[in-house]
Amino acid sequence: MNNSLLVVVLASGIAYGTPLLYGALGELLAERSGVLNLGVEGMMLVGAVIGFWTVQRVHANTGLSLAVAIGAAAVAGAAMALIHAFLVITLRASQIVSGLALTIFAGAAGLSSYLGNDLNLADAPARNQFHPIFPASVQNWPVVGPILFGQNVLVYASWACVVAVSLYLTRTRAGLNVRAVGESPAAADAMGIKVVAYRYAHTLAGGAFAGVAGATFTLAITPQWVSGITGGAGWIAIALVIFAFWRPALCLVGAYFFGALQALSPQLQAREIRLGPTELWTNALPYVMTVVVLALVSSSGARRRLGAPASLGLPYVREER
Amino acid sequence: MRTERRLRQPRWLLVAVPACSLVFAFFASGVVLLATGHDALSSYRLIFDAAFLNSGALGQTLIAATPLAFTGLAAAAAFRMRLFNIGGEGQLYVGAITAAAAGLYLGGKGGPSAFAIAAMVAAGCAGGAVWGLIPGILRAFFKTNEIITSLMLNYVAAYLLTYLIFNTQSYWRETKGFNATVFPTGKTLPDSALWPGATIHLRGGIVLPLGAGIAVLVAVLLWALYSRTRFGLEAQVLGDSPRAARYAGIRTRRKILAVMAISGAIAGLGGASQVGDFRHTLDADPNGLQKQYYGYTGIVVAALARYNPFAVVLVAFLVGGLQNAGNTLQGADFPSGLVGVMQGIILFSALGGELLVRYRVRFGRAAESAIPPATEPAA
Amino acid sequence: MQTTEEERRGADGAPPPPAVTMRGITKRFPGVVANERVDFEAAAGEVHALLGENGAGKSTLSNILTGLYRPDDGEIFVDGRQVHFHAPRDALEAGISMVHQHFRLVEPFTVAENVVLGDHRGEGRTFRLRHRAIELRVAGLSARYGLAVDPRARIWQLSLGEQQRVEILKALYREARILILDEPTAVLTPQEAEVLFGTMRGMAAEGRTVIFISHKLHEVKAVADRVTVLRGGRSLATVPAAEATPRSLAALMVGRELGGGGETRARAPGDVVLQLDGVWTQGDRGDAAVRGASLVVRSGEIVAVGGVAGNGQRELAETIAGMRAPSKGSVRIGTRLLRGGDPRAAIAAGIAYVPEDRLGTGVAPSLSIASNLVLKSYRGPSASRGPFLRLGRIRANAVELIRRYRIAAPGPAAPARLLSGGNLQKVVLAREFSGQPRLLLAASPTRGLDVGAIETVHAYVRDAAAEGVAVLLISEDLDEILTLADRIAVMYEGAIVGETTRAEASVEELGLLMAGGQDPRAD
Repeated sequence: MNNSLLVVVLASGIAYGTPLLYGALGELLAERSGVLNLGVEGMMLVGAVIGFWTVQRVHANTGLSLAVAIGAAAVAGAAMALIHAFLVITLRASQIVSGLALTIFAGAAGLSSYLGNDLNLADAPARNQFHPIFPASVQNWPVVGPILFGQNVLVYASWACVVAVSLYLTRTRAGLNVRAVGESPAAADAMGIKVVAYRYAHTLAGGAFAGVAGATFTLAITPQWVSGITGGAGWIAIALVIFAFWRPALCLVGAYFFGALQALSPQLQAREIRLGPTELWTNALPYVMTVVVLALVSSSGARRRLGAPASLGLPYVREER
Repeated sequence: MRTERRLRQPRWLLVAVPACSLVFAFFASGVVLLATGHDALSSYRLIFDAAFLNSGALGQTLIAATPLAFTGLAAAAAFRMRLFNIGGEGQLYVGAITAAAAGLYLGGKGGPSAFAIAAMVAAGCAGGAVWGLIPGILRAFFKTNEIITSLMLNYVAAYLLTYLIFNTQSYWRETKGFNATVFPTGKTLPDSALWPGATIHLRGGIVLPLGAGIAVLVAVLLWALYSRTRFGLEAQVLGDSPRAARYAGIRTRRKILAVMAISGAIAGLGGASQVGDFRHTLDADPNGLQKQYYGYTGIVVAALARYNPFAVVLVAFLVGGLQNAGNTLQGADFPSGLVGVMQGIILFSALGGELLVRYRVRFGRAAESAIPPATEPAA
Repeated sequence: MQTTEEERRGADGAPPPPAVTMRGITKRFPGVVANERVDFEAAAGEVHALLGENGAGKSTLSNILTGLYRPDDGEIFVDGRQVHFHAPRDALEAGISMVHQHFRLVEPFTVAENVVLGDHRGEGRTFRLRHRAIELRVAGLSARYGLAVDPRARIWQLSLGEQQRVEILKALYREARILILDEPTAVLTPQEAEVLFGTMRGMAAEGRTVIFISHKLHEVKAVADRVTVLRGGRSLATVPAAEATPRSLAALMVGRELGGGGETRARAPGDVVLQLDGVWTQGDRGDAAVRGASLVVRSGEIVAVGGVAGNGQRELAETIAGMRAPSKGSVRIGTRLLRGGDPRAAIAAGIAYVPEDRLGTGVAPSLSIASNLVLKSYRGPSASRGPFLRLGRIRANAVELIRRYRIAAPGPAAPARLLSGGNLQKVVLAREFSGQPRLLLAASPTRGLDVGAIETVHAYVRDAAAEGVAVLLISEDLDEILTLADRIAVMYEGAIVGETTRAEASVEELGLLMAGGQDPRAD
């Protein structure tokens, strides 16, 4: 039964969905502070290549080398995000254009490939990679074995991150402050909250998460470097945040849903099952649904609960006399 | 650091800042190259040659530039009115779908048929316009953020495109031939639906694709629309000050719908050009049309061109050259990814320079009237 | 926090210093002196009203006290100690809080979240927010001061009166010792206002200082201990509220000589051009801003509607101009009913509207002067042929108007936002007049203009009337009204409360009307 379609799809879905989840959590943090960052794909790729490079260079035991690699990926992602943050927060450039510029700069035709090429990273597979942490006997338990216990530590860490981000936003003072910054920077500023600092911090955090997401590809899923390895995952992560109505828990659901869809295709082919039109609907449905719900709640009170942070995409300028 | 909005934007600034940004960008890219052990100047030389000077380069550049001109014009049309249509990508796909249908249906044997081609143009516009109207309607009537809705529809359009070729025996799909079931592809367009090119007899003959010519025409029309018609005046007012627009009795909702439709139509026309000029089929290969990101790059082109239609065409040409060089030069000697890095740096510099154009920057705290420091409490 | 008189006296038993003292405060902005050597003082445990008409300097003074502006001259003392505020945060830390007319609340948050936002002490200090504890504290404060509001409610669910209570709770939570309220009853029903007064008295009884800014006499009489009257940037007098009468206060507020005005016009007004019958219009905040206004304006006469800003004047102007639809009542031009909420219908009916906010509403700032000059007429044959604009005509029109109205501009193609206030207003006037209007509706047309520009605008208004245009002038400037108007009406709380001719008008009566003197609630 562990080879049934459902189990395989769910197990792979979680694996494929993990980078989506990391990317979405990061973008969620940035957007909650009011900054839209469309450069997630670029940041992921840079994180992927730096993480891979680190693991090839750091000669230590597996655990340490992987940990350092993840750390390096996070820093690389944050560095990319810093460019965007500086442009849109301090220089008040258009958030849309700057994010797209970041994707071009860092993406598959840009910095990540440049580095991958120059450092000859495509030559060899990863020296170390993430493996499932539970012993094989546990992994073979029916149903939950492969799905829950067959995953690597990045997956479990992502669950912890979902909980952490969720608690952060709802239960801490800093989380309250950042939500205020995203909803009404003027009110937050009037209450003495440093809008600029919060936006920088959360945009950089978004970059760090994206970097880790990228490293998931090169260190866990397909442990090698190929230019453009993320294959559009960054764009899906952006959509995920919206689809999840800016809530961490829903990001998890959405990420695994998309991951499962991705895992579904090859499995169906292998088993020679045709779904026909249903497949289009299942793929497109999340996006269509999101659009419909957003439209319906636009002018009612529910919008305040479900809608985008009110200042998303807008620069904040304190009016002074 | 404090900034104040500038009231007037002196002419020299409008030219000097982009020029300086460009210089700065080349400088910065050069530093990156040098830091990684490449010769900056010779790399630049290679790029320039590959983009414009080598034999056949101009033709390739035009091929790369044509879609960017369309999506750039589409973005400019909307962004100028503060409608942030980032759905150019999806509108292009849908335009490609409808144009391919028209071409397949109406085309036949023989030389290019004006009728078939005109139908493809119209179908491409229509498809893109419809796809652009969806976020337009949501914005006009439900006040939904068009950035999000147009973005979401990009994904839907991509799935639609893939679905039509990969998952169904649709009209667009090639069903004959040995490979048909094993590797799904789209039907090839009949001969009379292939878009002709004009050959310019320079440097051994450069082919100007029909799409490129249409793009220039669209630029002229767009310029005329915005600067010479009542519609354009109303759109400008609405983009500048919604309250003034209401004050003047301008019907906001209709404008929003119209502009989104126009923007979508232009992007859809870009999709038609992709089918008719270059790919000659509905290309749903995941590594084909969908990986080019014409729509998103178009937004960036439009931003660099400050949303002026003629500048968009020029910038599209230059960016197309850069893309072409990147494709051509891929190899052991030439750092791959350099093109993206350079483009990115140029964009960053341009964005940073924008600040200087729009605002005046002052350093340090504002000058204040002399106030003595707080004294100790009196008894 | 109950500091008794004894505790606050120094060891030598001298009377405690006033909670707030402002001495010789002067603040200048380009073109205007907002505060000129203003002295102000409020004691602990009192409710002190700051009374004045528009432009008297009340807002500037309170903005200085809360640290938003820095005075050009003068000193501020809190509890006898001199203070210097570099930013609003300094004032907050000195115990000064303000409840503004436009609330600074985060709409999706709950009441409790808003109260504790940004606070660095108490429950807000901990990294972890304990929602229950905060809610309990907010509920406690709320009960103690009679500010009934559910700590778990979200701001967008609350009425304006309840939102105001949240703002006050914010101040109380921070243990503000000096609380400033800016025109607090603007958003309240009379019943809610009574509750507010009770809250204010309660806070004062605890030894806090409550300063409230108002232009309504009955409020001042109802709740204040002392009243300071500002006029023209100066502080005129501080009197105990009990001793003042509405007349004496109104006289202080607007007291001036009836200046030599304009010449009396011999011509008699013609037919009725504008007729308002019981017009009610909703404001932006969901309440009714215009409440049953009725007015008639005839061809050739200048009718001025005066009153302190915020009594529905803007909404009335927008109703007539078609930018807002009335919920009740009718607007007639001539004998025909004007369709509400349609600016095009108003334009077609010959209504010219010079809005108060010239840069934000009257022009499109980035567009050229020439385009702005045809902003309303571009649909007509003089500016367009079919869908196309007749650019040559538009430019020639602009050149002509620039010359005729002597607009100082770099050229017809220059963007409108480059123009100075006076020239911008000339552009608006030039445009509106060139449409041969039947009614000229001008809202605060000379606000922010220098003397020369004011003269010019007045001249245009008079000329228009002389040519038979009906003029409705909405102004907060009593001098302007007395100079220009044939008939004068006053708007108070959304209704027209008194009408008189210029010959019969007395400044005291007008001041009384503007401050709600006819209000049965005033003594």
